[in-house]
Amino acid sequence: MAFFQNLWAELVSEFTATFITEQRYLLFLNGLKTTLIVAFGAAAMGVVLGFVIAYIRTTHDHTGRLRFLNGLCKLYLTVIRGTPTMIQLLIMYFIVFGSVKIDKVPVAILAFGINSGAYVAEIFRSGIMSIPPGQMEAARSLGLNYTQATWKIILPQAVKNVLPALGNEVIVLLKETSISGYIALQDLTKAGDIVRSRTYSPFFPYISVALMYLALVLVLEKLLGYMEGRLARSDR
Amino acid sequence: MKKITRRSFLAAAGLSAALALTACSSTSSSTAASASSTASEAASSAASGAASEASTQAIQSLEDLNGKTVGVQLGTTGDLMMSEEVGKADGLNLAGVEQYSKAADAVQALLTNKIDAVCIDDQVAKNFVAANPDELTMLDTAYSEESYAIAVSKDNPELTEKLNSAIAELKEDGTLDAILNKYIAKEEGATGYVSPEGTEYPNGTLVMATNAAFDPYEYIENGEIVGIDAEFAKALCDKLGYDLEIEDMEFDSIIAAVVSGKADFGMAGMTVTPEREEQIDFTDTYCTAAQNIIVLK
Repeated sequence: MAFFQNLWAELVSEFTATFITEQRYLLFLNGLKTTLIVAFGAAAMGVVLGFVIAYIRTTHDHTGRLRFLNGLCKLYLTVIRGTPTMIQLLIMYFIVFGSVKIDKVPVAILAFGINSGAYVAEIFRSGIMSIPPGQMEAARSLGLNYTQATWKIILPQAVKNVLPALGNEVIVLLKETSISGYIALQDLTKAGDIVRSRTYSPFFPYISVALMYLALVLVLEKLLGYMEGRLARSDR
Repeated sequence: MKKITRRSFLAAAGLSAALALTACSSTSSSTAASASSTASEAASSAASGAASEASTQAIQSLEDLNGKTVGVQLGTTGDLMMSEEVGKADGLNLAGVEQYSKAADAVQALLTNKIDAVCIDDQVAKNFVAANPDELTMLDTAYSEESYAIAVSKDNPELTEKLNSAIAELKEDGTLDAILNKYIAKEEGATGYVSPEGTEYPNGTLVMATNAAFDPYEYIENGEIVGIDAEFAKALCDKLGYDLEIEDMEFDSIIAAVVSGKADFGMAGMTVTPEREEQIDFTDTYCTAAQNIIVLK
């Protein structure tokens, strides 16, 4: 009995030290906010960037146009997918924005957005390529030009196909933002790190940070499930 | 050089394309423009080899830190002290503290104008200033004085005692002074400490947790962790008949590693503070130091 009382007392004091002392819960809340801003800013940017690149690449594959842009996109994919996100973040912060005083949130959004764009591009491309060529041929034979056929026939079907993979990428991105502590951006992970460096006890800070990420991902999954369900209505 | 410029051009180009399409197009043009201009700036400044020619030394004394942002290494005494000073009207009244994983990252942020000053231990500060003599300088007055000691788990008072007696002996016989001469006074021909031949380790191995990015106390040279702490730890372990194994980790992980038993002791230019003493035991102190402020020239 005494053992459990001691354990309880210790848990309470650790919990207090982690969240209450010096209003540390504010660190977690602000960290959560920063993580959300960076993750969703980067996701939005990544999706737009990825879509543009996938569009350019498939247009080139189908029609042979846009050769220069296609080469540029390929170079971008090679460079971004060939280097670690952490290095890209550090390059963005210390080299690209090397001599200006700048808020770190946009820097992180840019770095993660550019990174994510490369992966999203391939996701979209696989979606567009997955639509049978007969669809395009049929659309063209009905008098639609290439652009119309792509936007009205191919893309609506492609987007539906890529949604699970796209959701996956957003989840990965959300968790990947945990490295932004490297540029001293106080995201959720860094908040846990800071609290641990003050309490010298890793249990509560890390477990609670892990649970917060898990909760975020659960919400995301629900949202994606809803979107997929909504888009599946027209399947029958 | 060419590669970097091209890459940042690519980034800027992709960026402007992407941002122009996003909903927040109000900021897009300015962000994209600044991205490309900074890319070229970075290129030209790197080419000329000077990052901040135009800046004049804005911070002359501790009082000038009022309203400024100071960079620190997470979990160091500099971090603890500067974090206390944020918005404290009767203190330095800092605007904010940015906690980097490594002292070098904080200094890099200072060199690239991200922050206004860096607070770090004096010997380390000296080495950073020596490495960037044209850009950096140190404030004349130190922020605070402090002493270093070795951190040992509270469950292991025997080790603390053994280390204390060994520290006393090595202070007595001049070994510690020899090591300090080698790394701090940097005397010509100072050999520091070398394990005597035929030293035996009948008592097993002790694991030391450190953060080897803290020249001259511990840093990596030719792939090995060297420095005052590393050499002094070797001397201590030789004296006590233990083999020494050094483990490199983030500074803010050291105490956790010692508490959880992943390391036997922590030695990383670690200052004795009451908060830390609640978690671990400290040996007697072996070094005195100070917290100093590095600013741009």
